[in-house]
Amino acid sequence: MTVPITPDMLDAVTSLTREVALAVSRSGEVVWADERATRLLGVSAGTSIADIAYDGAAEKLERLVDAASQAEVERWEALIAVAGQPVAVSFRGRPLDDGRGAALVGSLVAQDYGALLAQMSESMSELATLQRETSRQQRELTRANRALDDSSRGMVALYSELDEKADSLRVANEVKSRFVANISHELRTPLNSILGLSKLLLSRADGDLTPEQEKQIGFVRRSAESLSEIVNDLLDIAKLEAGKLVLRPTKFEVHDVLGALRGMLRPLVTSDAVELIVDEPPPGMPSFETDEGKLSQVLRNFVSNALKFTERGEVRVTARDNGDGTATFTVRDTGIGIARADRERIFEEFGQVANPLQDKVKGTGLGLSVSQKLAELLGGHITLESELGEGSAFSIVVPFVHPEAQGMAEMAERSRDVDPSRSPVLVVEDDRQTLFLYEKYLAGSGFQVLPARTLDEARSTLRRIKPAAIVLDVMLEGETTWRFLEELKASESTRHIPALVVTVTDREQKARALGADEFFVKPIDRDWLLRKLRHLARKGPVEKVLVIDDDEVARYLVRKMLVDTAYTVIEAADGPEGVRKAREEQPHAIILDFVLPNETAFEVIDDLKGDLRTRRIPVIVSTSKTLDDDERRRLAADTAAILSKQTLSREVAIARIREALEKTVVA
Amino acid sequence: MIAPTDALATALTTRYVAAQLAGDRRAALLVVDDGLAQGLSAAELQLQVVQPAQYEIGRLWQDNRITVAQEHLATAISQLVLAHLYRHLHRGPSNGRRVVVACVEGELHDMGARVAADHLEMSGYEVHYLGANVPTDDLVDMVRADPPDMLALSASMPAHLPAIQEAVSRVCEATGNRVPIALGGRAFAGTEADYAAAGTLVSCTNIERLVAEAKERVSGKG
Repeated sequence: MTVPITPDMLDAVTSLTREVALAVSRSGEVVWADERATRLLGVSAGTSIADIAYDGAAEKLERLVDAASQAEVERWEALIAVAGQPVAVSFRGRPLDDGRGAALVGSLVAQDYGALLAQMSESMSELATLQRETSRQQRELTRANRALDDSSRGMVALYSELDEKADSLRVANEVKSRFVANISHELRTPLNSILGLSKLLLSRADGDLTPEQEKQIGFVRRSAESLSEIVNDLLDIAKLEAGKLVLRPTKFEVHDVLGALRGMLRPLVTSDAVELIVDEPPPGMPSFETDEGKLSQVLRNFVSNALKFTERGEVRVTARDNGDGTATFTVRDTGIGIARADRERIFEEFGQVANPLQDKVKGTGLGLSVSQKLAELLGGHITLESELGEGSAFSIVVPFVHPEAQGMAEMAERSRDVDPSRSPVLVVEDDRQTLFLYEKYLAGSGFQVLPARTLDEARSTLRRIKPAAIVLDVMLEGETTWRFLEELKASESTRHIPALVVTVTDREQKARALGADEFFVKPIDRDWLLRKLRHLARKGPVEKVLVIDDDEVARYLVRKMLVDTAYTVIEAADGPEGVRKAREEQPHAIILDFVLPNETAFEVIDDLKGDLRTRRIPVIVSTSKTLDDDERRRLAADTAAILSKQTLSREVAIARIREALEKTVVA
Repeated sequence: MIAPTDALATALTTRYVAAQLAGDRRAALLVVDDGLAQGLSAAELQLQVVQPAQYEIGRLWQDNRITVAQEHLATAISQLVLAHLYRHLHRGPSNGRRVVVACVEGELHDMGARVAADHLEMSGYEVHYLGANVPTDDLVDMVRADPPDMLALSASMPAHLPAIQEAVSRVCEATGNRVPIALGGRAFAGTEADYAAAGTLVSCTNIERLVAEAKERVSGKG
């Protein structure tokens, strides 16, 4: 059965076709184009083949027309331009009108096929472009990396320069601190002389004084005290900066510190117009475990400032529990107040605000800056409330229990049980900070730190446990560890335990470390001296005291101090003379100045201890001078390692201790 | 007298075209590898084997000996081979200058541009190759944002000259005439004079000339 063709059917069929039909004259003009040619190629009668051909393909089309006008031609490809794009058409042709033209039928199948390949070719092209681009970017990256390397080398150089600068700044700072300390000590000798002598004069030991003379000596004494205060402040700052101020936490109650404050501050109130009130603390305040002395120092500074700047009214000291483990002490005054703009400046060293009251009273301008540093040392901080004309309230906030004390308790806890998987090391050291560091650095290497802060603690630990090694600070609070070392080596059970001895470079500690039995800082106090001598008498009667000091005033003062006692004073002005006299006279005690011309106390002590005749004479070392760091030659046998402990390089020192321990302890 | 290299190149070209017509890209790669092994440089292979082969392919189509499909395939193979040769280019020491190479909008024949780019790279230029059919807008934006030391545009058909003109005038405007422009491709045969006024330089398909003129024009700048 057949179906008649409808126009729609025809259209449908036609639309699917990929064929075109043309009739072209030999001269190259399209004389007829079918509907498909028009639709698919945009070709219509009247156009020339030069126009319909795609760029560069006209010649081929012309050749086609020429050939087809003469004979049958098959599969001749031509590129027709359609909307600017090349369309490939495969033509079949034959002559028309006796060679005056050609009939052409073209198939676009070639185009379809070609188009696919064209896409492929284009993709290749794009891929290749991408490859180049990647290559180029790679090269740029390499260049950038090199530039980065250069700049990072520059950065490293910069950092190392910065490091050097930081180092030299640190050194400069240290030098400054030492300079300050040195100067302060230099000042002390004459100051001590003035203070000592003026006290002597006022005691009328060598004759009476007229009221005028008494007044004059009083002035002299007050000036010296003033100067002394400045010197002490400066030294405090130098010590704080050098980190040498040691915290000595003790347990005390708020009553203790406030009570002591009341007593100490009374002399400061010079005017009736101002009342000093120390309020009763609120009941039930927890106990303190921190450095009472430093807390007091800060409060004294606050009160003294308050009194200075208050003309009338009151200065009130209060304490309160903040409920978060900290306490706040406030000193509130009704004085002239501080302008907002000046608030920071007053905490700076030597920062004072110009005003008439400031001119009237003395002050170094150092107090508040010292207080601030002390507050930090205590683990707290200072706050200030004040308005010009309305008085001020200085407060110090401190934790009840100093973080270090806390840490110590925890460390003791930790070391109570011996950990079988680690080597126990007995660390005999009284400085908390150092103990923490030991724990930190040694624990990491498989050691368990058993802390002992006194020799007794050390002995009791040794009874309990045999450690793999002992680290010994040569100077504990008030005791040298030399004898302890001797003990260790003498006892069968502890002889083989390797002992590492750590030295310090603090002058007092050094003196003791080198065999001094006692140590004091001038100006010497008579009562203290007498007490010490009586103490030393435990070992035998003391009659003769040898004073070795190049400062004749110092010798004079000692002589005067002992003038009506049972002691005879022998003097020597330098080390050799002192040693000679010691040998000859066999004094029962020697008071030795730490720094003598041409030698140090070490050498003198060496000589004294080295001689049988003088070895047993107790030596009391006195000083008013700072020493620079010295060699550690005294530390000799019975030690497995000798290291020096300086505040700034503690970590390094302990790291080396760790290394030494690792070498000595056989696992 | 045919120089030995000419004979070698001719032989290689013949093999190369055969590979192209067979659609055998591996064989084509082997041809150039042989050429490299026998002492021809990548540049020589480009100019003396691949390019002549492409012209031959074109001729074959003109003679109706091959179809458009075969031509596309052959071209694709040459694209691959050029990419392969790219890795063997002896890049001279960098002269610190940057050249952007592109075919204008509508131009799909990028082989000539590619070879030109390769030669510029060998001469020490840093070449940023944008490929075929680069839209004029994008080209202008790119040149304005980061002006190169030279721009090289390619057109192989006269039909693309209008695109060239537009690209040139817009780039000149965008860069204040500061970027020298080189024009290459068969579209420019015989049209040097038209472009000289715009401060651009023209070369046809002569790559060496392009490189030499670039050297003169570009290094002349501060």
